[in-house]
Amino acid sequence: MSVSLATNPPPPALTPAPADVSATVTPFPVKVQIRNVGFRYGKFEALKNINLVLQDRRVTAFIGPSGCGKSTLLRILNRIYELYPNQTATGEVVVDGVNILSPGLDLNMVRAKIGMVFQKPTPFPMSIHDNVAFGIKLYEKLPKSELDDRVESALRRAALWDEVKDKLRQSGLGLSGGQQQRLCIARAIAVRPEILLLDEPASALDPISTQRIEELIAELKSDYCIAIVTHNMQQAARSSDFTAFMYLGELIEFDVTERIFTTPRVKRTEDYITGRFG
Amino acid sequence: MPAEHIIKSYDEELSKLSNMIVEMGGLAESQLAAAIEAVAKRDSALAAQVVEGDAKVDDLERELDNLAIRLLALRQPMARDLREIFAALKIASDLERICDYAANVAKRSIALSQTPPIQPVHALPRMGTLALALVKDVIDAYVERDADKALDVWRRDEELDEMYSSLFREFLTYMMEDPRNIGACTHLLFMAKNIERIGDHATNIAEKLYFLVHGTPLTEVRPKGDKSSLEVVAPDRAVGR
Repeated sequence: MSVSLATNPPPPALTPAPADVSATVTPFPVKVQIRNVGFRYGKFEALKNINLVLQDRRVTAFIGPSGCGKSTLLRILNRIYELYPNQTATGEVVVDGVNILSPGLDLNMVRAKIGMVFQKPTPFPMSIHDNVAFGIKLYEKLPKSELDDRVESALRRAALWDEVKDKLRQSGLGLSGGQQQRLCIARAIAVRPEILLLDEPASALDPISTQRIEELIAELKSDYCIAIVTHNMQQAARSSDFTAFMYLGELIEFDVTERIFTTPRVKRTEDYITGRFG
Repeated sequence: MPAEHIIKSYDEELSKLSNMIVEMGGLAESQLAAAIEAVAKRDSALAAQVVEGDAKVDDLERELDNLAIRLLALRQPMARDLREIFAALKIASDLERICDYAANVAKRSIALSQTPPIQPVHALPRMGTLALALVKDVIDAYVERDADKALDVWRRDEELDEMYSSLFREFLTYMMEDPRNIGACTHLLFMAKNIERIGDHATNIAEKLYFLVHGTPLTEVRPKGDKSSLEVVAPDRAVGR
């Protein structure tokens, strides 16, 4: 079965070769359409005419050397760039038919729908329980027992519950790096988003925590559309269904992950994944 | 070859791996050539050298395996680099098998030279020369990473198969004509079969090279010329003579 994914000019042909059955991924509905997206930090053009789609319940990885624009693209997807002056995005990011870049849109609703986890764990200076409850309280008024249930289920989902259930009132800052990162994931999924953006979620973690996060991604993808930025090529190859390779603000190649890491079509992609330029 | 890796020692190790394959290929060629010469000239001393020489190839294969495993573990190769290592591992075991067959041809030639010469012996070096050309060409194709050249070897093996089939019939005829030929002809039959198998290993190498270059396996069905497996020898035919 062939998968048609992107409309980036020149459009990469995404129909796998007939014999190449293993490299196909059953297509899920499109969750996010990124259309002609450009981005500027002041005068610097960080992204140029990006076009691709993210499928629901699939993991899409963004790889590329530092400064290629992959984190910038993720930051556009929930409009977090608006917190900073002189940063402007152009084009459209259509989520379920709504362009989330249009100025009139309620930012809080965008962010409730699209959760984000950063490279460094960012727990709030409050208890583990309150870290997770914080977002829920922002969007919903729930009785305490229901709120506690939601906190528990988010912590369970993030594979952290067993480690913290006896110290929910202790500060989130007291947890280890890997636990803090899973706490941030719990906080992100507690508000029941539909899309999860992970910006190098495991790059500051030890190998065991990294594997927990990867396991978690595999678990969560049954419910979410996930976009992950990672510098770890093996991690991208293991955890994602689709991979986008970016370079100097442009989308160079976008394809089924298996093909990107075995027989990429563009030489620059192959040079990058095999460690020939950085 | 593509551009250089950022880590220079990675390039060095990959080219060392590739050089080891070429070295093994060179040994396979010289072993096979010497085995054929030993048969043609009834040279038992040369044959004994070939038999002894086989150990060197086995050592090289072990060394290559170690390097390849080390590369896999330490470099976590991707895409073409991964295929380079995978192909080297597979090709090395094909080359090792080729050398085993060459050694066996040499070993049997020692026994053969102790019996009076019989006519069909002359056909064997001809077959051996073709097998040698296939091995040589597939190694050249590997050096040049030339998948088309590999495909050519892959197709030419059919010729070797056909030679084997007709030799098979010839040996049968000799055996039926005179039971005193059976001892020599049985050796010759195994030798011819060994040479035919060498051709098959050359096609295996061609397939691995194709995969290395293109990233997709060669899925065509290879033309096969060996019909000897289907040959029926009717006992009455032998008795009737």
